[in-house]
Amino acid sequence: MQPLSPTVVIASYGAVTAAGPDAAALLAALKANTSGLRPNERFSSPRFQSNIVGAAPRNPAFASEDNPAHALATDALAQARRAAGDLKLAPGRIGFVLSTTKANIEALERLSDGRACSEQARRHLQPELLAADLAAEHGVGGPVQTISTACTSGTVALQQGAKLIQRGAADAVYVVGVDHLSAFVVAGFTSLKAIDPSGCRPFDRDRCGLSPGEAGAAIVLVRADLISGPPIELCGWGSSNDANHMTGPSRDGSGLALAIRAALKSANLSAVDIDYVNVHGTGTPYNDAMEAAALRTIFGEVCPPVSGLKGMLGHTLGAAGVVETIACVLALREQLLPGTPRLSIVADGMPASLVKEPRAAERLRHVLKLSTGFGGVNCALVLRHG
Amino acid sequence: MDNLVITATHIVNGDDVHAARLGTRFGRMDLMSQLALLAVEPLAPHFESVARERIAICLAAGAGSLATDLEYWKGRDNTGGPSPTLFTYTLPSAALGEIAIRHRITGPPLCFVGSSRDVLPEAAELLRLGEVDAVVCVSVNVVTPGLAEWLAAPPVATACAALLRRGGVDGQVVGEFHRDLETLCYYLRAQLTTD
Repeated sequence: MQPLSPTVVIASYGAVTAAGPDAAALLAALKANTSGLRPNERFSSPRFQSNIVGAAPRNPAFASEDNPAHALATDALAQARRAAGDLKLAPGRIGFVLSTTKANIEALERLSDGRACSEQARRHLQPELLAADLAAEHGVGGPVQTISTACTSGTVALQQGAKLIQRGAADAVYVVGVDHLSAFVVAGFTSLKAIDPSGCRPFDRDRCGLSPGEAGAAIVLVRADLISGPPIELCGWGSSNDANHMTGPSRDGSGLALAIRAALKSANLSAVDIDYVNVHGTGTPYNDAMEAAALRTIFGEVCPPVSGLKGMLGHTLGAAGVVETIACVLALREQLLPGTPRLSIVADGMPASLVKEPRAAERLRHVLKLSTGFGGVNCALVLRHG
Repeated sequence: MDNLVITATHIVNGDDVHAARLGTRFGRMDLMSQLALLAVEPLAPHFESVARERIAICLAAGAGSLATDLEYWKGRDNTGGPSPTLFTYTLPSAALGEIAIRHRITGPPLCFVGSSRDVLPEAAELLRLGEVDAVVCVSVNVVTPGLAEWLAAPPVATACAALLRRGGVDGQVVGEFHRDLETLCYYLRAQLTTD
């Protein structure tokens, strides 16, 4: 007989990011603290606030000019499934959760301009159809969900995947996060004057905005008894709403603090148990200050090491929560405290425990991953090294 | 475990938006957010007895934000670029944020794109696990005529909402959740009419 709430662990993962074509490239970038942000000709126009973006490489095996969302998601999921090996599960016991904010928005740009657009690319404008097709292509016969809670989509999708396993709806769940670089999104952030012209610098004194990015990222969640080896457990989650403003975070960080408390409670942990915090860290003045306030509320003056990765990957929107959780898993496996790429001079009021350069961890067992987004949404996850 | 109870439901469509008076911000929102707010408004008196951090919002956005996406992108060649206000609403979860702001709801937010079949089971799970005491369940779908052509789907502008709580309060006991939110709301409205 299965336990009422089985432990959920991360069996494998795959990632296509500005750091490179796979998780190995992401790990190398974490160790070297390198940034994948680069000037990109496509955005070299006065229409855009900056041409510095986090572009992911395209795998020729999956490349599709009019359907980059499907290409990135397929590449990442193929990597994750290959790494997971044969789980020996019936299709009906495998679930799928897609996390995205804009799915294949490339199709909307093409259709609006009267450019060529395949039927599949048009179909994948609709996130739930992208999810349905990816699930079918990868042998999923269990529940399929499509989550879109702004920039918390990825962490909320992982929470949903874990819940599907805990309540017995699936034994394994493929959680896939994807969003691709588009004129649509870069023009939008330009209209909000939210882009740092020289590339984002989270927590820096001179930070002034984000850098758009793109990624495909996939995590295979499974019931713990289905795999062997030292597991990384997804052991806690919590979410909340600021109920404050559509595009600006609450100044006092109370909404994010509420999500963190819920995550710690669900993991049956206290704040002192957390060994490292991977923040959302967009590089906008208000977001970073809000996160610092939330961390002060939870940890007081003794905050564990903190860092953020958007100076490496850019803001990958619906993929961010998944790809940054993969970075946390790599950190746990390597007992590594990731740095904060592109951070030069730490701004006043930021946590004193900010990690600028990566270093070996003295102890890394519990990691807290944070996400926040438009509409005031917040999500926190807790990972445990078994 | 107590029964799960629907304490209130409401259904609106595009025609209801024109007569609505929900403050100055309402007029600046996209149609999806307007419809969702209107559907939730009659449920608000039932929120009073519940701590706001113990209320979740569970939203299904049928066609996502595609109608607003299309409207926003029409302004791409405008002087100064497309509208920053509309860009804010080019997220399927935008309506969720507006509901939270209007009713000061700080509990867990959840937004599905596509069918609303997951809304009631997920809401029930949040209640069963004791994570919250009430869930505002919302389904909203906007397909404008321009978008309808692309999606090969009929134009639509509709929203429905239901408040799900644990037993101990007045309302309709819900025994099973193998139906989408729209079907449940129309079923309950028909029952009320019959009664």
